Amino acid sequence: MSAETTLATETYRLELRDIVKSYGGVRAIRHADIAITPGTVHALVGENGAGKSTLIKIIAGAEIADAGTIAFDGQLRSISSTSDSIALGVQTVYQEPQLFPELSVAENVFVGRELTKGGRVDWAGQAAQMHGLLDTVGLPESIATSIVGTLSIAQQQQVSIAKALASDASVLILDEPSAILTDPEIEVLFTVIRRLTAAGVSVIYISHRLDELFRIADAVTVMRDGETITTRPIGELSVRQIAELMVGGVLSESRPKDAGTSGATVLELTDFTREGKFTDVNLTVRAGEIVGIYGLVGSGASEIAGVIYGMDKATSGTMAIDGTPVTVKRPSQAKKLGIHLLPANRSSQASFSFQSIGLNIVIGELGLLGRLPGYASMRKQRAIADDFIKRLAIKTPSEKQPISAMSGGNAQKVVLARQLVRRPELLVLAEPTQGVDVGAKEEIHRIISGLADEGTAVLVVTSDLGEVLRISDRILVIKAGEIAAEFTGDATQVEILAAAAGAEVDAQIGADLEIEIIPTAQTETPT
Amino acid sequence: MTLVNETRPIQTSGNKKPRGQRNLASRALEALLTQRVVLLAVLIVIVIVVMSLLDSAGRLSGPYDPDYLASSLISAVPLVMLGLAELLVILSGRGGIDLSVGSIVSLSGILFGMAYGEWHWSFVASLLVAVISGGIFGAVNGVLVAYIGFPPLIATLATYYAYRSLALVISDQKPINSKEIQDFYSAAQSIELPVIGGSLPLVPLGIFTFLIPTALIVWFLLNKTTFGRRLYALGTNDTAAQWTGINVRPNRLAVYALSGVIAGLVAVVTVSQFASARPDAGTSGNGMALPAITIAVLGGVAITGGIGRVSGIVLATLLIVWLNAGILLALPGNDGSQFQLLALGLVLVFASLLNGLTKRKYGGI
Amino acid sequence: MSIDERTKAAPPAKATARRILPSPVTGQEFVLIGVIAVLWVLLGIFTPAFLTPNSIQPLLVSIAPIALIGVGMTFVIITAGIDVSVGGAIMLCAVVVAKTMVSADVPLFVALAIAIGLGLLLGLINGALIAYGRVHAIIITFGTANIFQFVALRVFASSTVNGIPGTLDVFGRGEAGRTFGVPHSFAITVLVVIVAWWYLRHTAGGRHLFAIGGNANAARLAGIKVQPRVMLAYGLTGALVGLAACFIIASGTSTLDQAVGSGKELQVIAAVVIGGTSILGGRGSVIGTLLGAILVQTVTSGVTQLGWPSQLANLFVGIFIIIAVGTDLLRERARRKS
Repeated sequence: MSAETTLATETYRLELRDIVKSYGGVRAIRHADIAITPGTVHALVGENGAGKSTLIKIIAGAEIADAGTIAFDGQLRSISSTSDSIALGVQTVYQEPQLFPELSVAENVFVGRELTKGGRVDWAGQAAQMHGLLDTVGLPESIATSIVGTLSIAQQQQVSIAKALASDASVLILDEPSAILTDPEIEVLFTVIRRLTAAGVSVIYISHRLDELFRIADAVTVMRDGETITTRPIGELSVRQIAELMVGGVLSESRPKDAGTSGATVLELTDFTREGKFTDVNLTVRAGEIVGIYGLVGSGASEIAGVIYGMDKATSGTMAIDGTPVTVKRPSQAKKLGIHLLPANRSSQASFSFQSIGLNIVIGELGLLGRLPGYASMRKQRAIADDFIKRLAIKTPSEKQPISAMSGGNAQKVVLARQLVRRPELLVLAEPTQGVDVGAKEEIHRIISGLADEGTAVLVVTSDLGEVLRISDRILVIKAGEIAAEFTGDATQVEILAAAAGAEVDAQIGADLEIEIIPTAQTETPT
Repeated sequence: MTLVNETRPIQTSGNKKPRGQRNLASRALEALLTQRVVLLAVLIVIVIVVMSLLDSAGRLSGPYDPDYLASSLISAVPLVMLGLAELLVILSGRGGIDLSVGSIVSLSGILFGMAYGEWHWSFVASLLVAVISGGIFGAVNGVLVAYIGFPPLIATLATYYAYRSLALVISDQKPINSKEIQDFYSAAQSIELPVIGGSLPLVPLGIFTFLIPTALIVWFLLNKTTFGRRLYALGTNDTAAQWTGINVRPNRLAVYALSGVIAGLVAVVTVSQFASARPDAGTSGNGMALPAITIAVLGGVAITGGIGRVSGIVLATLLIVWLNAGILLALPGNDGSQFQLLALGLVLVFASLLNGLTKRKYGGI
Repeated sequence: MSIDERTKAAPPAKATARRILPSPVTGQEFVLIGVIAVLWVLLGIFTPAFLTPNSIQPLLVSIAPIALIGVGMTFVIITAGIDVSVGGAIMLCAVVVAKTMVSADVPLFVALAIAIGLGLLLGLINGALIAYGRVHAIIITFGTANIFQFVALRVFASSTVNGIPGTLDVFGRGEAGRTFGVPHSFAITVLVVIVAWWYLRHTAGGRHLFAIGGNANAARLAGIKVQPRVMLAYGLTGALVGLAACFIIASGTSTLDQAVGSGKELQVIAAVVIGGTSILGGRGSVIGTLLGAILVQTVTSGVTQLGWPSQLANLFVGIFIIIAVGTDLLRERARRKS
């Protein structure tokens, strides 16, 4: 594959060639080559199932390749354990913070490489080093003694990064780091990354947010179906081209949204407040309308969805469904009112992993499985499941297959199907395509659009800018728990980002973005 | 409490050879290793074959024949039933387990003995005492686990101690042996099956009066009711279950209460088998909970919840009962009961190692 | 300036060990000390005989084996594991040592070596199966419990072991077992507890056990050698079982019967959870285990001394488990909210 590699070939910091890896009978990686130059940010992109995480695990020593070579600074190495790769200077910050909830921040940072003085741990020495580290990642010094389990997810992410920094890494792997960070936090992250590359560290950056890559990456490698397809300097490709390489074809045009008919108001929130999470939210969603709430993690957007659905309580304000004020105390009540919700985090909040697709689909409406209360017929379950497998084009040999064996996109369709078994009046979707490959993303957006066309009121809560622009009729931007701005469907990315991050970042973002801003009503929005 | 929990990349179905192309042998092997019911059936056949061979070689102290197999089923009754109780509880997830079933058998047994043998209540009324008291004792576990948040191991450990001591205290450590109880032994007798029974072996009555109804009811609950679906869901992922609108706590409470109800029934069975209501019925030796949990694990129940079937429990019990029956003939006396211990231990270790191995080879359950 | 240089150049913080680690004595332990003190006072009032050496000394001797094995069990439970085979292991170690002493009058150190060596072997068997076999600890140790019991019963050969010499009397209840009124077995136990406490708190190896229990996957990724550590925890438990078996033989009569060890695993687990160690792993304390063992044995002894039916002791143990774990749960919930 060396013809494709157009980077300058001094000695690479890290070079993998002809990697192959299988699990059981399944080929996770068919053939992978990747070469990382010192002091650069090298992006790794691909759909779920393309092999990115397997490749990363091989570099980190968490898995051993079946075939292929690994070289560091020109010297062939064998990595057969995580300590081998750590010794070579590889540090990984995973999407899920790999931390120990019962230990303090300082202990977490030093775990596995404690400073010792004659057999016992050198607590004072570790405390001294913590000071600078915390400063670098933007955490207060007092947090060193906090128990990690009590911190927020974003703070835990920062601790993970501090931990990686502490071990003097030469290769830092960041797996979807921005997924849970707010925009200011992403800026801090990028500053840290730039500082590291200036000092000669190589960063491997995995992200689904293609637009981000243009702000931070120097080179990009695209993977598809277990193979590395190409490696190029970032400037040589456009977002669209990268997306097409990931999918293996040309992306279709997005369906034009019906500008027209919306019906009666289904959901109305007035001065809706949950103390500490969101304040004085006013919004309406009408039948046939798709309202998008754009807000990053921590902005309060997903909390609003949770309260509408009854998982949490509002502390003040009112919610009205079809004009009648209601208090939703639990999800079963929400469902009785016709409110259905697709949770944000599929693996922890929606997927029953080793149960069949059939069970995963019908589990929300067990009452439909039999005429007698309490009775459940397998035949009925199968019929409902097969119907949705067809309707949503879910790729599976049978409804009996466990959901854990499916790709992200297909699994998400199953969970979406669950919400549609009984037609909802109001469908709330939280991060509907997070962790979903580009092809399935499109299909899901089409399904959502179709639902709205048929009269369902849809509320989409998402931190994916491209997504919210693509499918919403109206967009609300949430910042720090309050509605910061409202846009119609033809807003631009820059406007929305500015509203979400605060005006002072506006000019910076405009300058950094090298992609062409195109009004979304006409064309494909880069995802 | 898994030690290492490796995450796997999401498999695309593209790379596995389609079913038709893998040969019969490899498919059979996969079925054997991943379908617990198949493995158990094969092992039962092996046991029967081996024992029959030993029998025809004259190495057994008695005939290993259908009559013997049928009569040995009497010990299957409490075992299957408590195995089903553990199945229900372990299915519910979050470390679900019930260490207190043996103590409930003792305590409800004493209450049954008092009602039937001392206060001279009718059989039905006394049975209700056993069953309802069992349900209440189980519900205590359920409240501790589902509503207060105790880890099930701890809650049922505490109630194991408490119920065990209560049984001894209220009975003043003396078994109840009144006439009614002694006559009750007839309920444990073996009978000839009606109509077709002529050439078939005698089967213990308890199989029909207790085991089969319980097994059928549990099977029905798990497979044909919305409760069963909810149970599998919350045992797999109770957060996701909440998001689908399932009210997790009452459902979890219910399985612990059901476990107690079944233990109450087993109490009655045990009284009839011993013709005496003994305060240590369920807690003597290693207690009844250990074999029940062993049966559940052997029967394919996942200790983390969400996986398990009635057929597995039944077959696992048959395997253990018939294996033990054979061992007793091959090595009579103390030797026999000692080797039964060994057999149980070895079977458990190998069955769970097999589980671990197949997870690795075939990726997930 | 590289990141590393930058952190070292920063002004050193005044932090000491105390600021990074949680306080050495947890809330649970304070409560336990209080409860035990109250119980002792009450028992002292209602049965004056309780606070005499004649009653306290046997109490301490009975606490020793439970607390000793409890140390190992604490290590194991901290790694999110469990070991229900200790009862069977006690039986096996005890009968092997007893028979050896009867048939070949071995000196003290040999007897100890046999017991501890055998216990260590049994523990390592558990450890290997759990660490490398990818099986849940509770299931495997249910299995090995049966196997150890089987072997023990074969060694017993359907009888009791009679005429055990007094080789181990230095750990017993008699005069030979005490110095300045303190039973040796209890003193050794306290020593082991202190060493274990220091190990868990101040060595990397000890902290790694907490890491493994908190998030085994993250531990592996951080470069911790998870499997050897887990084997160490179970091996230690086994070795302590061997030593405890010697204590048990010493504190009994010259006859050893097949009931030895029966139910001990539950007693040990009860002591550990009452002491505040979380059954879910990642959090625990050997001092709490020692206090838990003291509490359980105090209850048992107290019930007998008060003339109540001895089975009531079990009821109280059950109630204490509920109270202890319940308060621990509430405390954890409050701490997480803050």
